[in-house]
Amino acid sequence: MSSPASRDRRRMLKQAAALGAYALSGNAPLRAAGKPFEGVELNVSCWSAPFPKLLQGYLPEFEQLTGIKVHYDTPGFLIYNQRVDLELSTRGSSYDVLNITFIYVDRWLRSGWFAPLNDFLKDESATPKDWNVDDFLPATRKIMSDKEGHLYGIPWTCDCLMAAAGRYDLMEKMGLAMPRTFDEIDKVAAATNKDGIAGFVGDNRHGWNFPPYLQGFGGNVFRGAPNDLMPTLDTREAIAAADFFSHLLRDYGPNGVLSYSYDQVTAALKQGRGNYATEGHIFLMPAADPDSKEAKTVRYSAFPRGPAGNFPGFATHAWGIPVGAKNKRASWEFIKWAMSKQMMMRAVTEKGYSSPSRRSVIESAEFKKRLLLNDNDVADIYLKTIEVAGGSDYMAYRIVPVFPQVDTLIGQAIERIVSKQMSAADSMRQAQSSAIADLKRAGIRL
Amino acid sequence: MEEAAAQGGYGIERRQRVALLTGLLPALLLLAALTVAPALYLFVVSLTPATPTNPASLTDFSAPAQNYLSALDDERFTESLWVQLKLSASTVAAQTLLGLGVALLLNRRARLVHALRTVFLIPMVLPPIVAALIWKILYTPDVSPLHRALAAVDLPVSSLITNPHTALWAIALADTWEWFPFTMLIILAALQMIPREPVEAAQVDGASPLQLFRYVVLPYIRPAIVVAALFRLIDSIKAFPLIYVLTSGGPGTATQVTNYYAFTQAFNYAYWGYASAIAVMLTAGVFVLSWVIGSRGTVSSTHG
Repeated sequence: MSSPASRDRRRMLKQAAALGAYALSGNAPLRAAGKPFEGVELNVSCWSAPFPKLLQGYLPEFEQLTGIKVHYDTPGFLIYNQRVDLELSTRGSSYDVLNITFIYVDRWLRSGWFAPLNDFLKDESATPKDWNVDDFLPATRKIMSDKEGHLYGIPWTCDCLMAAAGRYDLMEKMGLAMPRTFDEIDKVAAATNKDGIAGFVGDNRHGWNFPPYLQGFGGNVFRGAPNDLMPTLDTREAIAAADFFSHLLRDYGPNGVLSYSYDQVTAALKQGRGNYATEGHIFLMPAADPDSKEAKTVRYSAFPRGPAGNFPGFATHAWGIPVGAKNKRASWEFIKWAMSKQMMMRAVTEKGYSSPSRRSVIESAEFKKRLLLNDNDVADIYLKTIEVAGGSDYMAYRIVPVFPQVDTLIGQAIERIVSKQMSAADSMRQAQSSAIADLKRAGIRL
Repeated sequence: MEEAAAQGGYGIERRQRVALLTGLLPALLLLAALTVAPALYLFVVSLTPATPTNPASLTDFSAPAQNYLSALDDERFTESLWVQLKLSASTVAAQTLLGLGVALLLNRRARLVHALRTVFLIPMVLPPIVAALIWKILYTPDVSPLHRALAAVDLPVSSLITNPHTALWAIALADTWEWFPFTMLIILAALQMIPREPVEAAQVDGASPLQLFRYVVLPYIRPAIVVAALFRLIDSIKAFPLIYVLTSGGPGTATQVTNYYAFTQAFNYAYWGYASAIAVMLTAGVFVLSWVIGSRGTVSSTHG
């Protein structure tokens, strides 16, 4: 048992370390001037992703150093979006810092529901130069900015579609390599779909998982997002892509695959019940954790190419300040702290965070070392995927204001095909007609 | 003299009426504020193309019938009504029959039976989201003890909630588990109100248990069964947590009831006007059912 004196010493050292980190993150002037935010309370919310969840553990440091009391919650993705959509639409002031969800970027920013952050970034008393907003990957900043160059959110993640094969050992024995094309996915899934292992695993967010296949087949969600929003879900390419993607889930997926959440995909990989998955990388990384049955056998690769090219899904989410927030300067203090280089690096080194948005962190030796998994340089795959996404506008379909409608319809269409309620052609035609009706209801001229 | 007395009586009646109205007025105003005003606002919004991203849409009454006309033309809406009908019919029938059966079994004066009654109430008093979570675990093959037990005896079962032929019935089963205690309670209360004399007389006359139930017990408890079933029918239209947690309306739209469809239109798509129109139609349906319940209640109390 430790003595009170040693406990005090430890606490003092911990506080000193936290103070050092805070000073490094550019908040030393604030400290020197006392605690100008003492007594301020902030309501902060984000959906339950790894970064906001791990950030929760560091909140006492922030509260101690700034005097700000943070009320923090991380509900599920759908619940978060519904709640915040309602809150923002009424110009409510219940929240001081909120996550800007990728698929709601256009709706929430175009409606003027978030405050631009440029004034804080320009003001050296609010943000020291070495905080360096340019360190955040350009692809992510571009999404969170308007045409005039106002930045509304500081991105905390890059969600990249990648591929993982948990039982690469079996594939090696069969003479199979990591798939580089859609055809090879089919071969690998078929060959490993036996002995209690599902050859292919995927979660039920088909609106996120399917479009990379759709684009790989040469199709798209809209004819020319963001300007031409005519849905193109019933084209020959779209039907072929839906048929192929549904075939993977139906014929090689685990029992109940249509109700699989992303957590279940991770669990299936970790428990050795699934082999191959194309998912957001953050849900694939845990397959290499020490407690995973596939830790020694898992391999990673970039998302494979389709007949028409390579279109890995990419998403980002960002901390922003709602226009109704009462104390925006204190809100910015939280964002600045949460997104400092030091905090992001601590998230990587202390909590194993695998989806940083700062280039300096992604290119750091610590991150590369952490993501060197079974001789796979996953950090390199991660960065290259972001570059592919940032170098083209193929993700534009996802941030148009009516995408949430089409997202749901794509999900229903895939479910109808997988559960054999309809053929791919019929199901996609139904999705197309429903999408047109919904878009017209939104006042979109087609 | 008589005239004066009559006038005095009339005056008293009038004063009583005024006093009654004055006393009731605050309650009536509160009722109007809490129920009528929101309902009216819902109706007003249903006459607009309201969406939160366009504040002007909330006061755009240029095409007031548009949402209603769109709904009639919307196959997903009409399909959701059919799904609703199947769910309501199956759950009301199952809950009424099961509630009746269990109530008959529990209609005894014994300590054990009394304890059992309390146990049977557990599903009903659970928060709906907890009940939904229990069934989510049971229906998820990866973690379900039910699926594992069946797989252990070489009888593996495909996921019930991802199969379009079973998903709705899986929800109906969970709903029945959760709500049959309600019908059981009402019917049990009615059973305990039956006077002993006619039952004993029938028994003395040699009536079989079936005859006793058919000709003596059932006529007494019929009004209670009807009221319980109608209450469940109204409540079934409001089914939400089970569908939200178990299937999200899927696979495809196999379990998308009207209530859930309105929810997605309002909160996933932000079509507040259209969702309000659907909600108004649902409310009208529930209102009609409430009226039926009211009139049945009046009939049974008059004839009872």
